[in-house]
Amino acid sequence: MADQTPSLIMDDVSVTYRSFGGKRQVEGGRRPRWMSKHIGAVDLIRAVRNVSFVAHHGESIGLIGHNGSGKSTLMRAMAGLVPLASGAVYTDGQASLLGVGGALMKDLSGERNIRLGCLALGLSPAEVDERFDSVVEFAGIGEFLQLPMRAYSSGMGARLRFAISTAARPDILLIDEALATGDAKFRKKSKERIDEIKETAGTVMLVSHSMGTIRQTCTRALWLHRGQLRLDGPVDEVVDAYESSLG
Amino acid sequence: MTIPASGAELAGEFGLRKVGGRPPLVKYAQQVWERRHFAFSLASGRAYSKNQGGYLGQLWALLTPILWALLYYTVFKYLLHVNRGIDNYAGFVVTGLFIFRFISGTMNRSASSMESNNGLITSLQFPRALIPIAYATAEFLNLLPALLVLLAVAVLNGEPLRLQILLLAPAVVLAYVFATGLAFYSARLVVEVADLGNLIPFVNRALMYASGVLFSLDRYGDGAAFQVISHTPLAIYIELARSSLMVEVPVDAATWLWAVGWAVLTVLTGFVYFWRAEAKYGRG
Repeated sequence: MADQTPSLIMDDVSVTYRSFGGKRQVEGGRRPRWMSKHIGAVDLIRAVRNVSFVAHHGESIGLIGHNGSGKSTLMRAMAGLVPLASGAVYTDGQASLLGVGGALMKDLSGERNIRLGCLALGLSPAEVDERFDSVVEFAGIGEFLQLPMRAYSSGMGARLRFAISTAARPDILLIDEALATGDAKFRKKSKERIDEIKETAGTVMLVSHSMGTIRQTCTRALWLHRGQLRLDGPVDEVVDAYESSLG
Repeated sequence: MTIPASGAELAGEFGLRKVGGRPPLVKYAQQVWERRHFAFSLASGRAYSKNQGGYLGQLWALLTPILWALLYYTVFKYLLHVNRGIDNYAGFVVTGLFIFRFISGTMNRSASSMESNNGLITSLQFPRALIPIAYATAEFLNLLPALLVLLAVAVLNGEPLRLQILLLAPAVVLAYVFATGLAFYSARLVVEVADLGNLIPFVNRALMYASGVLFSLDRYGDGAAFQVISHTPLAIYIELARSSLMVEVPVDAATWLWAVGWAVLTVLTGFVYFWRAEAKYGRG
């Protein structure tokens, strides 16, 4: 059950991206249009604007909103992965994003990728040795272990990524749409694994477009709209409001 | 429960720690050291995957430098008949070229390293300095088989087997330390101003002419230009490598001091320079 001890505090957080190679069209801009299109085409995108909330130990929070509403960016801000334009994030322990996709190399074998991915998550070489077999077994890649990941089917690759990324146990778990990978059997297995991590993690944040998943796994929900927090409350209330806004 | 005035206050009350940002320099260096296994794994993965295609696989790690050596050997020894006053001209060129390509390749590739590892940076927490370190290490791992080829070329050219050959090891290790420092600089510079990435090829070519890869630096005479050019880091490391393999290239203690000086200076200032922007990487 959720107690009232905070595990994560977002204090007026804003994240801004620099985008090269294009500029949004603004009426009455200072520079002629043809020029801002080709030279100096750098734009600032305010992906997350002044978001504040407090998460508590034992809470599962769903993060919902349209594509481009800033959900993934907000998650990255919680994990301390993107520079903040303003505000601050405080956590009790380590907040980690579930997913090691970025660390893996498709030209390397599953075996090397398991080692690489686990080290990327911050495990020590001894811990990697210890958990190696369980990762292989969970991913179910069997004889494909020595093949480069390039040769894996997309389901197999997704299974391996999931297995590697759940090898570490963070205090605050951030999941970005990771539940819907693989076949039915693997989905069931991965749901069990996430439940297991949830028990040790204390706090879970979940980004998903499936309102069913959000209602099922979360007790509270945050609705992000164009980078701003529109609604924060019990999951049914927020999801209902979000769904009715879709018409 | 009273509502605290600010997030910072609430965090203080329950002992929460601030996330992200830039740790103090010493702590940062410790974090880098703790995560060294990750950097090495990243580096060996990069070096390995480079030769992953094709039937011959990792044999290419050795075949590629052999082919380069053969090409230069044939062109300079049998086709152009140039020696520019150097008896073992082929060995001279190949040694210079391998060391040059190691350092300039590190600078080149680490320039785009932060951009091409954006996915990694925005999904996992680790000191970002590991990326330029891994890039320099990957280039170093690729250099190792090339060193064997250099040894073979030297011996085939009739260079005697003498104790000085062992000095090749400290020479390339110093070059590696220097290259790592260079990688810190080029990785951050391109993050600061993306346009600088376009200047890298020109810098490379200028360095090639200034470091005596294809000809002895004596050509610059013995005036101020020679003094400056012969003390640039690339010229120093190339000279050390040549002197360990070739009898006709003498070396003095001062050159070794320059090599140590450049390596330490570059890696320390580069590390600090890279660290100062730690909170900026991953902005996309």
